[in-house]
Amino acid sequence: MTDNSEQEYTASTDDPTADEMSIETDVSTSVSSSDSTQHANTVVSAENVSVWYNDEQALQDITLDIPENQVTAMIGPSGCGKSTFLRCINRMNDLIDAAHVEGDLHLRGKNVYDDDVDPVALRRRVGMVFQSPNPFPKSIYDNVAYGLEIQDKEGDYDEIVEQSLKRAALWDEVKDQLDQSGLELSGGQQQRLCIARAIAPDPEVILMDEPASALDPVATSQIEDLISELAEEYTVVIVTHNMQQAARISNKTAVFLTGGELVEFDDTEKIFENPESQRVEDYITGKFG
Amino acid sequence: MATREDVIEDFGHVSRTAGTVFRYLLLAATLFGIVALAVLLLYVANDAIQPLTADPGWHLTFFLTLVVPTLAVSSYLFRTDPVSFRFGASIVGLLAVSTMFAGGMAMIFVDIVPPVVWFGYVLALCLSLAGVVVIERFDRQLPFLARFVAAGAIVVGAFAVVPGLVQSLPVYPTDDILLTLSFGAPIAAVVGRYAAADAGRRGRLLAIGAGVVAIGLGGVVGPLLGVTPVPATVILSLAVVPTAGYAAGIVRRHPARRSGLVLTAVVLLGAFGGAAAVDALGFAGPQSWVDWQFLTSAHSGDAINAGLYPAIGGSILLMVTVAALSFPLGVGAAVYLEEYAPDNRFTRFIDVNISNLAGVPSVVYGLLGLAVFVTYLGQPTGTVLIGGATLALLILPIVIISAREALRSVPDSMRQASYGMGATRWQTIRNVVLPRAFPGILTGTILALGRAIGETAPLIMIGAPNVLFSLPTGLSSKVSAMPLQVYAWASLFASDPFYQAAVPAGVVVLLVVLLSMNSVAIVLRNKYQSDSQ
Amino acid sequence: MSTDDITRDLTRRTENSPRELLTRSFFFLCAVLSIVTTVSIILMLTTEAAKFFSVTAPLMGIEGPTASVVDFFTGTEWVINNEQFGVLPLVSATLAVTIGSAVVAIPLGVATAIYLSEYASSRAQRVLKPALEVLAGVPTVVYGFFAVVYITPALKTVIPGLGTFNMLSASIVVGIMIIPMVASISEDAMSAVPDSLRQAGYGMGATKFDVSVGIVVPASLSGIFSSFILALSRAIGETMAVTVAAGSQANLLNPLNPTAYLEGALPMTAAMVNLLTGDVTGGGVAYRSLFAIGLTLFVITLIMNIISDLVAQRYREEY
Repeated sequence: MTDNSEQEYTASTDDPTADEMSIETDVSTSVSSSDSTQHANTVVSAENVSVWYNDEQALQDITLDIPENQVTAMIGPSGCGKSTFLRCINRMNDLIDAAHVEGDLHLRGKNVYDDDVDPVALRRRVGMVFQSPNPFPKSIYDNVAYGLEIQDKEGDYDEIVEQSLKRAALWDEVKDQLDQSGLELSGGQQQRLCIARAIAPDPEVILMDEPASALDPVATSQIEDLISELAEEYTVVIVTHNMQQAARISNKTAVFLTGGELVEFDDTEKIFENPESQRVEDYITGKFG
Repeated sequence: MATREDVIEDFGHVSRTAGTVFRYLLLAATLFGIVALAVLLLYVANDAIQPLTADPGWHLTFFLTLVVPTLAVSSYLFRTDPVSFRFGASIVGLLAVSTMFAGGMAMIFVDIVPPVVWFGYVLALCLSLAGVVVIERFDRQLPFLARFVAAGAIVVGAFAVVPGLVQSLPVYPTDDILLTLSFGAPIAAVVGRYAAADAGRRGRLLAIGAGVVAIGLGGVVGPLLGVTPVPATVILSLAVVPTAGYAAGIVRRHPARRSGLVLTAVVLLGAFGGAAAVDALGFAGPQSWVDWQFLTSAHSGDAINAGLYPAIGGSILLMVTVAALSFPLGVGAAVYLEEYAPDNRFTRFIDVNISNLAGVPSVVYGLLGLAVFVTYLGQPTGTVLIGGATLALLILPIVIISAREALRSVPDSMRQASYGMGATRWQTIRNVVLPRAFPGILTGTILALGRAIGETAPLIMIGAPNVLFSLPTGLSSKVSAMPLQVYAWASLFASDPFYQAAVPAGVVVLLVVLLSMNSVAIVLRNKYQSDSQ
Repeated sequence: MSTDDITRDLTRRTENSPRELLTRSFFFLCAVLSIVTTVSIILMLTTEAAKFFSVTAPLMGIEGPTASVVDFFTGTEWVINNEQFGVLPLVSATLAVTIGSAVVAIPLGVATAIYLSEYASSRAQRVLKPALEVLAGVPTVVYGFFAVVYITPALKTVIPGLGTFNMLSASIVVGIMIIPMVASISEDAMSAVPDSLRQAGYGMGATKFDVSVGIVVPASLSGIFSSFILALSRAIGETMAVTVAAGSQANLLNPLNPTAYLEGALPMTAAMVNLLTGDVTGGGVAYRSLFAIGLTLFVITLIMNIISDLVAQRYREEY
């Protein structure tokens, strides 16, 4: 399921003059996400990615491109490899001894599985938000500034923390209690804190693994609004088992079915209204789940 | 936010040098204590055993008969069949440790408890058990209390009457036959059942019979090898037969592990063969301070003749007393706290209390023993009874805490299943919880006993004698203990000869006993953990 | 079955049947024994110590030589035959051993805990953890012996002014003895930190060093501190190693002065042992001073245990 826009890009990635490139891309990225996705750049491009846990294959030959500044949702029944694929993007699967990855995965043209890539350096360019909120037992300020501290980034940390909390729609609620422990916030607030923490170091992509599944409906809808806003600045890839959520907030949707197979990947409206594959239609209409 | 690059050539690299240096520093710190202790152990072993004073021929012989074959077989097995290797090695270890404990047990039967007396008590036990079983058959006709009282009467009666009766017999069989019947037979029964568990009734009876016969032969075979009948019987019953039975049982269940026995055979043949060879070839062994004389003589002002025998006996008697006191009381308290106690302030108070008691210095427990048992209750100082009671109080909090851990590790779903079937609390505890938690409780108790064996201060406080010339024979005999004897040598008799000979030897014996106990506990715990997973 | 039968069956009170009551009472008594022990300890120490001090001795019906409370707690001489009972030299020596062993055990113990919890493979753990338990299982007399016979001579080659009995060897050996306590309790605390926190850290591109030192250790700080206090309380109560290695001369020293460790001294616990094994006649004021020291010791270790509980409770993170 490759995007047409990819053909433009394979040519340009060979061009060494990055400066020229940025001018061209500025034009394309100013296109809002509601425009035809053919003009969007590709940020993450997977080619024949397969994953085994010991002898069991969890992902079958996944090829897809994730466009910039859009929300790409990955849906499917549980155990179909959506989280596994997500964790390939920032090589978090490396931390699992039993996992074995094959294939190529390019982040902005560089294959993250190349031998010369340092996974730690890679993860500093990609943000991740987990299923259950996991703020550190530190103050709210220290939580958000954590990424800046470990990368020893320059800049005014106070301002970056404020910006990140504002972008995560949490600033107003905590601006007077930045010293308070992150664990004292409610579940929904903790998850927004984790989002602020993830965006503070300005990542290329934000990966979200079922970010609202542990939250109550009010908090869930707050997170969903937030995700749509985040796509204006960042590229968001979200795994969700909640189909309606995917329909609500994503621009593109990938459907994973049993055995780690990517069955269809297209614009969200197409997937939900008129999917090509019968299996996808059966899944969407709830014939199995 | 920064403008995004279109193309990333390189994600950059994060320096890991700080992390790597840190990792090696951590490893060094972790190994520091262990390596330091290992070095100290080597030093003291060298001082006590003096391996370098042996003839080169002695070293060479054992090298050829024991070391080389063992290494060869071990490395081969380890690479091709690790499970068999572990089995073979465990049999060797089991044999070594059990022989050591059997030696201690033999000491008890030789010098402390005459086999006749033991026989009498075992007979009483059997009779009272038989009586209790008969009474239980009437559990529909008689209420519980009546049965309880009747059973109690039978037990008390049996123990009061039978031992005296037996001892007053004009004629009775020789010591080793008595022991075979009363000590070896029960052990053979348990071992035989395990070894032949899948062979049906006849097979089991055969196995038990074989075990009893083997033990009985000890009285005859032993003297041929230079071992008197009673120790021979004890060693056979406590070391040889159980180990053989265990090995047989495992091999029947897992035939593939048979090859591990090759390792066992190589080690045993190498050791005995080497011993025979050095005897025949006349090579002198190391002039070790830890020798048979050291283990079997009493203290003497002359360092070279000083021995550890009464102290070893004292330690054994103390351990028996401590175990008898602390095991039921400690496990009982743990059961109450985990299974019965409601979650109120009183229970929490007991909790806090126990964890505080675990932190009280051992000297203070000694003071407690002194003030309560000696001064207040007027007992004579330094006896087995008050020594054992004081040490039992010392390790009671430890036993309670580890028993609680073991009880807590029983999944609640098992209890729920039992209660769901209408079982009472005691029924659940007895049938579901305790069996499952038993290995963990056993491990914790063994470790606690190991702590008690090594304690000196409380014994000093209750007035245990510094030097003892004869073996303690009963609960009210004065008692010494291994660490106490070593301390006395190191402080009261501190002089070069003692520090050269007696003290290192005593330290080595003490360490060997302790390390064996710790290893048994650790092996038990590992086996239990891997079984339940 | 008739309604009557069922009613009778269902209303039968099994929890109070004699068998249940019997077993329950037995277990209850076992648990109560622990309280009896504590009460006995406190009673015993206070009454005997009361016989020792002048202010309270008359209440206990004791006549004869006693010691004044003030002199006990502020006196700087401990010479039994002279009836001088100042406890400060003993306390200073105990303090010295505690500080010395803390310097050894705390860094090594925490480092061990971090290594075991964050870096060691499970195979390495299976070897290292039992090895550490062995360290804790060696009897304290043996440690004292090691200090006098092997460590002091070795140190003498580097530090010429070292006495045969000295606080330095004693501190080193007690430190090695309590490393396993610090390590195992801290390691438990670190393992209790949920893995999702580590995942969050790694997900942000933190190195293992960042995660271990910046996330796991701060999150388990309460358990780590509690381990320090428990280990130090053990060092304070340690008897035989210091009795053998530190000597028998009571000596007021300054625990913060490194050179003071080169001499021998008499910690509280060793003083108690000396009172019973030395040339002390039974009964009398010297005998009772045992209990006064014992009381002081008991109160100190009790307070430390309570503090350790409080620290663990108060700062424990609820995940």
